[in-house]
Amino acid sequence: MSDALGKAGFWVVRLLPHLMVLTGLLAIWEWLVAAGIITSILIPRPSAIIASVFRLYVTEGSIYEHFFITLAEAVFGFLIGAGVAIALAVSSSLSESFARYVTPYAVVLNVTPGIALTPIIIAWFGYGMGSKIALAAVLCFFPIFVNTLTGLRQTDPDREELFRSFGATQRQVFTQLRVPAALPLMFAGLKIGLTTALIGAVVAEFAQATAGVGVLMARSSFSLDMASSLAALLSMTLIGLILFYSMELLDDRIVFWRRDARMSAVSRARARAWADGTGK
Amino acid sequence: MQTMTRSESAMPGASVIEGRHVGKTFGGGSVIALEGASFDVTKGSFVSLVGPSGCGKSTLLRLIAGLIDRTSGQLTVHGVPVTGPHTDVGMMFQRATLLEWRTAVENVLLPIEIQRSVTAADKARAMELLAMVGLKDFAFSFPSQLSGGMQQRVALARLLQTGADILLLDEPFGALDEFTRERLNLELMRIVSEVGATTLFVTHNILEAIFLADEVMVMTPRPGRLARMVHVPFARPRTPELTLTPEFNALVAEVRDILGTH
Amino acid sequence: MAVAADIAAAGGPSLRQRRMLTHAAIFFGLVALWEIGSRAGWLDPLFFPRPTDILASFWRIYVTQGNIWYHLFVSLSLVFAGFIAGSVLGIGLGALVGMNATVRRFLQPYVIVLEATPRIAVAPLLIAALGFGVTSKIAIIMLVCFFAPFINTLSGVINVDRDRLELMRSLGASKLQTLRKLVLPEAIPVIMAGERLALTAALSGVLVAEFIQRDKGIGTLILTYTRNLNMASAFACIFTLTAIGFLIFKGMEVLDHRIAFWKNEAGLRRVSTKRARGWAEKGGAVHV
Repeated sequence: MSDALGKAGFWVVRLLPHLMVLTGLLAIWEWLVAAGIITSILIPRPSAIIASVFRLYVTEGSIYEHFFITLAEAVFGFLIGAGVAIALAVSSSLSESFARYVTPYAVVLNVTPGIALTPIIIAWFGYGMGSKIALAAVLCFFPIFVNTLTGLRQTDPDREELFRSFGATQRQVFTQLRVPAALPLMFAGLKIGLTTALIGAVVAEFAQATAGVGVLMARSSFSLDMASSLAALLSMTLIGLILFYSMELLDDRIVFWRRDARMSAVSRARARAWADGTGK
Repeated sequence: MQTMTRSESAMPGASVIEGRHVGKTFGGGSVIALEGASFDVTKGSFVSLVGPSGCGKSTLLRLIAGLIDRTSGQLTVHGVPVTGPHTDVGMMFQRATLLEWRTAVENVLLPIEIQRSVTAADKARAMELLAMVGLKDFAFSFPSQLSGGMQQRVALARLLQTGADILLLDEPFGALDEFTRERLNLELMRIVSEVGATTLFVTHNILEAIFLADEVMVMTPRPGRLARMVHVPFARPRTPELTLTPEFNALVAEVRDILGTH
Repeated sequence: MAVAADIAAAGGPSLRQRRMLTHAAIFFGLVALWEIGSRAGWLDPLFFPRPTDILASFWRIYVTQGNIWYHLFVSLSLVFAGFIAGSVLGIGLGALVGMNATVRRFLQPYVIVLEATPRIAVAPLLIAALGFGVTSKIAIIMLVCFFAPFINTLSGVINVDRDRLELMRSLGASKLQTLRKLVLPEAIPVIMAGERLALTAALSGVLVAEFIQRDKGIGTLILTYTRNLNMASAFACIFTLTAIGFLIFKGMEVLDHRIAFWKNEAGLRRVSTKRARGWAEKGGAVHV
């Protein structure tokens, strides 16, 4: 119990100066607008922004539908894009010819600004969530593909020799050596992909949509309700943070050997399992 | 930390570096890197600092270089207390730390560029120094095109370009293979006596320490201290056969002894 | 033995040539299938405009009607203007923040928050506030171009080799000298990587701005063609962007090799000879 309190205390101590500075800056900002020193429509009062946030999340509660729609669009688009990317990357790593003949098309996909495809994708998939998911998938494909392929391609000749000396089959070398070695790079790609997928979802919403945080933001902007617009932007940040930290968590659990604390935890868990006889 | 300027050259036989109870602690006193070392280094002599990890030899070198501040004691170079890096003192590290986007000769000229603007005379001298270390044909090569040993020779030339008369070397050839290291050690001795510099050389190799030096500062760890100064009486120039003589090995045993009891 | 090898070599195509042929075969095979499928009515022209139609569109927009040139010029000039402004700002601030530990610590949470936010999402806001037109477009491009150079420069400055920093200190170098002679050169490769990301982001930025403003530029062109279901022309525009993207990619690669010359063999040799030649000629200051 005291350990948890200690940990909480540690975080509070670290955050406190930041919170104080932030509050100070917001106060100055509020005063500047209130005193009429800043009159640009681009800059609303912090209190107005907070009021909008409160309205959207609490009083009206209208944002939740939009929030989850955009979140879903990004996640589904990511899953599709990542799925295809990883499948193609694995195939490319297993077959030199496949890699060679797929590469030019991947390069073409990479150099083309994916966002240029937005109107076409909307024409293909309609005004609903489908087009957002599609754009998200298209945008996140390449970073994941290239990182996973690079990860799988990197060879450690010493370790491969070791495996062969044990008489390992090609398949075993792949699953027991190549795949784990590729995980760090793959996760780096996945993180980039997830952020890119969110961009895809949001941009597609700008172009044509009825629901989603992007739509909310565009509508508020064009009715010059900057406070709500910024509130929507903050919601996008929140989605981005949720996505990023979920991936961080997954990365930490799966690629556990990169962090000392996690490594010790897994080590202890395995030791216990060993002793219990379930030994992995 | 200010950079100090050159002071008048001392007479041969005079002390150029004097330390009285020089000490250094880290972490607010929790780690004693060096506990009160007192010593004199005479002009033109070659002094080795030898000991296992944690004996404070690198710390002492950095204190003399003015890269870190001492926590206790007095330390003077040419009679002036050490408060920061000075142009009298040049240092060479285990890693060559050359700038990879500069050619060898441009790396050698780096210290001059920092102090003032480079003249034609400086450029000529840089080429001379590269010739002295045997790299005349590699003046316009880049560090990544040179081997480890060659990179260290460029670093040595850079060190000599500063015109410093006190050279501090922290295991400069430690990362190189045995053969290269031996060769470079011999070259170092030759160059240093040619230039007439006072040299301090950190190593964890006892044979190397005795072979190169006039005086050996034997240092022991936990806490880091200067256990003893051992005088090395052999004449110069020295050849590798010296290491086979009984007198040499007696000294090795003596130093081993001092280190062994701690 | 050697004679046999010679004969074999002279007889058939080399490996490289055979591979190029396979590439070409696959490509034209796919295109042929596409064309046939389209003519036979199996492929919906909405999803798969006929290749010959696409070629016809190319001809029209580039030659007969020639309307693409204007729109390309409009979009690309905005891209370069915004890219230069935004990335220079990014590099400058990145270097400044990188050199100052307290500012960096203070800014850290804000940078994390900024990183999680899709910068391009601010487009409607900027357009609504700054009005339709060039100003808001450049503002959007500058915004998307700022982040990658900023983060990369920051990272490059922070991660300077510690031993080299100590070297500069031991030589009595001032902070400015250390910045000029060590920090910036060492950070160049990372900065170049950031610049590459910024330029691609700039292109995306102008497209988003044009999708919303719908006045002119290649983004508007794509939008209009798609609206009118002229998919062949829309595809022609997309492929134009592919070509531009490829040129940018190759251009940045060449620039990278020239500026960060010490990272590749050819660059090292080239500059080495150049410096050897320049040594005798130049009397005074040393290069760099």
